[in-house]
Amino acid sequence: MPPKKNVSTPSSTSAAPSAAVATPISTPQTSHNVPSSNPISILEGIFKNYSQSTPQRTKLIDAFLGFLVITGVLQFVYCVVAGNYPFNAFLAGFSATVGQFVLTASLRIQSNPANKSEFASVSPERAFADFVFCSIILHLFCTNFIN
Amino acid sequence: MSSLEVLLKDESTRNIRRLLKVVILITIAGAAVSSRLFSVILDPWFNFRASKYLVKNGFYNFWDWFDDRTWHPLGRVTGGTLYPGLMVTSGAIYHILRMLSMPVDIRNICVLLAPAFSGLTALATYLFTKEMKDESAGLLAAAFIGIAPGYISRSVAGSYDNEAIAIFLLMFTFYLWIKALKDGSAFWGALCALFYFYMVAAWGGYVFITNMIPLHAFVLVLMGRYSPRLYVAYTSWFALGTLGSMQIPFVGFLPIRSSEHMAALGVFGLLQIVGFVEFVRDQVPSRQFKTLLKALIFIVFALSSAVLVLLTVSGVIAPWSGRFYSLWDTGYAKIHIPIIASVSEHQPTAWPAFFFDLEMLIWLFPAGIYMCFSTLQDQHVFVIIYGIMASYFAGVMVRLMLTLTPVVCVSAAIALSNILDVYLSIKTPAAPTAGAPSVNERKEKKPRVNILSAGKDSIVGVYSKASKIAVIAAFSIYLFVFVLHCTWVTSNAYSSPSVVLASRMPDGSQHIIDDYREAYYWLRKNTPDDAKIMSWWDYGYQIGGMADRTTLVDNNTWNNTHIATVGKAMSAREEVAYPILRQHDVDYVLVIFGGLLGYSGDDINKFLWMIRIAEGVWPDEVKERDFFTPHGEYRVDDGATDTMKNSLMYKMSYYNYQSLFPAGQAQDRVRNAKLPAVGPTLSILDEAFTSENWIVRIYKVKDLDNLGRDHLSAAAFDAGKKKSKRTKANKGSQRKLRVV
Amino acid sequence: MRLQLQSDMASRTAFLLFFVNLFVSWVSATPLTGGRVLAVIEEQYDSTKYSQFLMDLKGRGYDVKLEPAKKDTLSLFEHGEKVWDHVILFPPKFKGYGPALTPQKLLEFTKLGGNVLILTSPSSIPEQVRELARELDIGLPPKDYITVDHFNYDTVSKSEKHDVILANRPAVSPAVHNYFSGKQDDLIAFRGAGHTLGNGPLLVPLLTAPRTAYTYDSKEDFAYAQDPWAAGTQMQLVSAMQARNNARITLVGSVDMFSNEFFDMKVQKPGSTKPQKTANKEFCRDVAAWTFGEKGIVKVNSIKHYLSNEPNAPVNPNMYRIKNDVTFEIELSEYDIDRWVPFKVPSGDSLQLEFTMLDPYYRVPLLPSSTSSNATTFTTSFKIPDQHGVFAFRVNYKRPYITYIDEKYSVTVRHFAHDEYTRSWDISGAWVWIAGIAVTIIGWIGFCALWLWSAPAAAKVGVKKTQ
Repeated sequence: MPPKKNVSTPSSTSAAPSAAVATPISTPQTSHNVPSSNPISILEGIFKNYSQSTPQRTKLIDAFLGFLVITGVLQFVYCVVAGNYPFNAFLAGFSATVGQFVLTASLRIQSNPANKSEFASVSPERAFADFVFCSIILHLFCTNFIN
Repeated sequence: MSSLEVLLKDESTRNIRRLLKVVILITIAGAAVSSRLFSVILDPWFNFRASKYLVKNGFYNFWDWFDDRTWHPLGRVTGGTLYPGLMVTSGAIYHILRMLSMPVDIRNICVLLAPAFSGLTALATYLFTKEMKDESAGLLAAAFIGIAPGYISRSVAGSYDNEAIAIFLLMFTFYLWIKALKDGSAFWGALCALFYFYMVAAWGGYVFITNMIPLHAFVLVLMGRYSPRLYVAYTSWFALGTLGSMQIPFVGFLPIRSSEHMAALGVFGLLQIVGFVEFVRDQVPSRQFKTLLKALIFIVFALSSAVLVLLTVSGVIAPWSGRFYSLWDTGYAKIHIPIIASVSEHQPTAWPAFFFDLEMLIWLFPAGIYMCFSTLQDQHVFVIIYGIMASYFAGVMVRLMLTLTPVVCVSAAIALSNILDVYLSIKTPAAPTAGAPSVNERKEKKPRVNILSAGKDSIVGVYSKASKIAVIAAFSIYLFVFVLHCTWVTSNAYSSPSVVLASRMPDGSQHIIDDYREAYYWLRKNTPDDAKIMSWWDYGYQIGGMADRTTLVDNNTWNNTHIATVGKAMSAREEVAYPILRQHDVDYVLVIFGGLLGYSGDDINKFLWMIRIAEGVWPDEVKERDFFTPHGEYRVDDGATDTMKNSLMYKMSYYNYQSLFPAGQAQDRVRNAKLPAVGPTLSILDEAFTSENWIVRIYKVKDLDNLGRDHLSAAAFDAGKKKSKRTKANKGSQRKLRVV
Repeated sequence: MRLQLQSDMASRTAFLLFFVNLFVSWVSATPLTGGRVLAVIEEQYDSTKYSQFLMDLKGRGYDVKLEPAKKDTLSLFEHGEKVWDHVILFPPKFKGYGPALTPQKLLEFTKLGGNVLILTSPSSIPEQVRELARELDIGLPPKDYITVDHFNYDTVSKSEKHDVILANRPAVSPAVHNYFSGKQDDLIAFRGAGHTLGNGPLLVPLLTAPRTAYTYDSKEDFAYAQDPWAAGTQMQLVSAMQARNNARITLVGSVDMFSNEFFDMKVQKPGSTKPQKTANKEFCRDVAAWTFGEKGIVKVNSIKHYLSNEPNAPVNPNMYRIKNDVTFEIELSEYDIDRWVPFKVPSGDSLQLEFTMLDPYYRVPLLPSSTSSNATTFTTSFKIPDQHGVFAFRVNYKRPYITYIDEKYSVTVRHFAHDEYTRSWDISGAWVWIAGIAVTIIGWIGFCALWLWSAPAAAKVGVKKTQ
């Protein structure tokens, strides 16, 4: 889990992390729209790029992903601080969040128009239906497991 | 006009094809079922008993079942220590049939479950292979798996074991995985997870899937074949599948605690990183950036492996279980966990077994793997990995031949279908061949450019009718022989149940030796209901099921110490064994003795394992060395060591045996040994029952002596022997003083 | 009604007899374990020597029949059942007893619950008795060895040999039941040979020789013993074996102890001023009464176990759950000559309950909770350990002089059922994660709603993309 955690934190609010990672090495590279070497302007550029070119639903997904990350981090921190005494409860709670996160990420990938070619048989509507299906199973397992 | 005609024609042929396909599949399933009905005896009695319990008491009671009639006095938390998939399946079938107002006895369901599921396995294999190549290969694979002896051995009627449904689940889960990967669909991933969940509920071999799918994903990532589809398929499978597997009480927290499951978790983490990196790359494309990120991936990967090792060493994560080690080091089990090594199906496979179980498929198998290499798509990578892993495991353990069989069928079908594609093709410049559909059925003759015929010009003979006919005829004969072989193996080797022995009389007629059932029936009728029977664990399920008596140990070998205790009692001297028997409330001791009949699967032949297992727990009290003569021989005749002759097992086996023969002529027909003229004596046990052919011998444990003497002197006294007069010798200081 | 007699038939007949007698002839009640006594005695003449003892037995309700040792028709059994309840063996005049009294037969007799009282004299210890004694792990001296004591001999009988030794009543520890101690200054006259006991737990001494007594070969012509066969308190004058089925075999080293002569004798210790009457009559009666099961018989009337906290819990269920609180009750009575009285545990001892699976998990004292006119109820409560399996409530109370109590009741202790664990919401620590799930699910529902609500915009985007 830990390695995944480290990574998922940035991936969620897609704009911020890419900047965070990109910042140190941003100087040699030329970003999409803004041919500036100022990190802040790169950040702004990316953000602008993001807010312009991203469909509203994808933004919605990103918001949800961010929310899930926060929930997950909170749970994990609590586990580290207070211990994982009812272990099944911890597992259920935490994996519900993680599972929901990856499912949502899958939805984001599937509904991303850029991946259209990859997912020939999965239309966005189908993707959403799959997402709902998987999520319901996930929630059932988790609630059963937390008992 | 003509185009319309063609269209119509196409439409109709498609329909016919579809119909034919269905008919063929049904035929294959029918053949698969019927070839498993040669003889019917319910085998793992425990599963049957558990199913009865489930049907009688309902699911929740089954779940909470505490079985106090096995593993006396420990009992067994049965609901929490078994894979309930099998029983729940037959229970569900039972209730559905009753709902349809078809009151079927649960026994019949149990008997027919394995053949029914083998039909489904054929279907799953068809689907799986279809994803690999095409439908014709699928049909071939289905036909192969339907009659391959390697699979029949575990799924004849009455073989009511977890494997009966597990192979179907294995293949179907793999099919769903391939499907999910191909489509990149979370829906298929979720279905895959659900069937994985079912598989976890059904068989301990689910670990194979747990490691196969991550391995496949990992190899794909390494090959640079990462795709969003992989991410979607894998994460949806993992998230749901892992949570699902933790719902099974027996599995519990294992998926995040034990090393066997760590690969799946690690690949999950890896995919998150890769997915994130891919995402970032889409956002900010740059060469340097990419290489940096790739470095990052590997650093993180290395770090997480290090953390994993650290956690394992520090004990947070359970290290590999012993059974798993024995897969890597075949000698491991023999030294460290003799209980695993003692099971014949855990032995390394002898090479003839491959031919015996798979016949011609075994040489088509590498060809199929080669075909997979030549059209290397994601799903073919899977078959290759599966083939490599499974053949390794099958070489290590006879039992795992079962997991090898499906992939052998699949790749053999791919190879064969390729050959047939080429040689049955009408589209070659030459005149169409009249290659009649052979014993096995392929309807699909898709004219397609084949890999083999990629360099068409160089292949001699494809153009010639004669060579086509020759090849097709040859393969038809192979297939025909294969079918014959399968039928023969099934009817002879794999349909003889273990409780009834058949032997040929000199005149060729079959003679049934039914000692086991005779003895179990005796136990059922002549012993108190709460009598405790001690025997070696091999017979535990049968005693529990057929004789309905409490046993100390049984085939579910969950407690090594308890089994070692039985082993110690069997291998110890009488006076050492007696307190053990008393402590465990043993009323009867049952041994299997084949010396009269020449039945080699008896307890004296298994005795060394009992000794080894006992030695593992009590190295100071039981020593394997003491049972061998100074020349290192394991003997039962005059040359046997004193330890051997005084062991309870030896005494129980040969007690009174000499009386069957003229003086000094007693002969053990299994070990071809002439026994000592004077047979062993027993003082702590009374012979209670010996079956017709002396295969099963049952002894009753004597009560404590009424006067507090040891049994040996009590028996001597009862026999009228006088004690040596010690009054004179006991004068004065030599006498032991009484402690006041 | 459970008496600790292992052979079923024997106990059943005994009980039947007991009840019949209880109702029919209460006044001259037959003893608990049956009143048919066979006294193997050589001649009618001999019996007059022991008439007081035998009459005393008859007076207590025993039907004593005298038979010579070698009588052909003599038999202990008929159709596999014993025809006597007790046997008294007087020393035979000739070499041994007849074929009806071989050690094997005698042991068979005890196996069926019969009690045996063996009286020996130094000059005549038949081989049968020696063989039997060897099986019991009692060491008998060779022929003509006698026990003397130069400090505790009887001065009245003026024997130069000092062979009438005067023993005190045994002093027994307060932790055991005591049926032989009487008055402290009682003197018991003994003329015969002592014997030694092995270390078997079933053997108990009833009368131990004085510290200064020893046994030597009376045929040797020495005024003193060069090589005593046994000496001091290692030597027993009267001892008994209570077999596992509670049948009793008592061996007495001196047949004279039971004679009229010794009953009426006045004895005087060296140094004592005036002669006093022996306590032989009382002591011998005690010995016979104990041997024939008038004393020291304890029976278990009932055993009950149930859940402590539930008033309507079924009694004696077959199954408990780990960590249940259970109460165990056992009701005990003791037989005292002619009636059942409440059983009392001696002050220095305690009755304990074991809760065992292979080994005891608990050993808790059972304390008297209530007493009725003829029984005491002992009770204890405890929490079942956190270990499932087939356990047994076991009361294993084996003490010298009383019947062995070894009651074993198996119960199955099961694990928590799936719905008996503490639910997560009862554990405050789990609330965070419950909240985590709840938040996730709620967030998911909200997300789905928003997604569907934002459909038109997304559709537009989709259209745009397809174009």
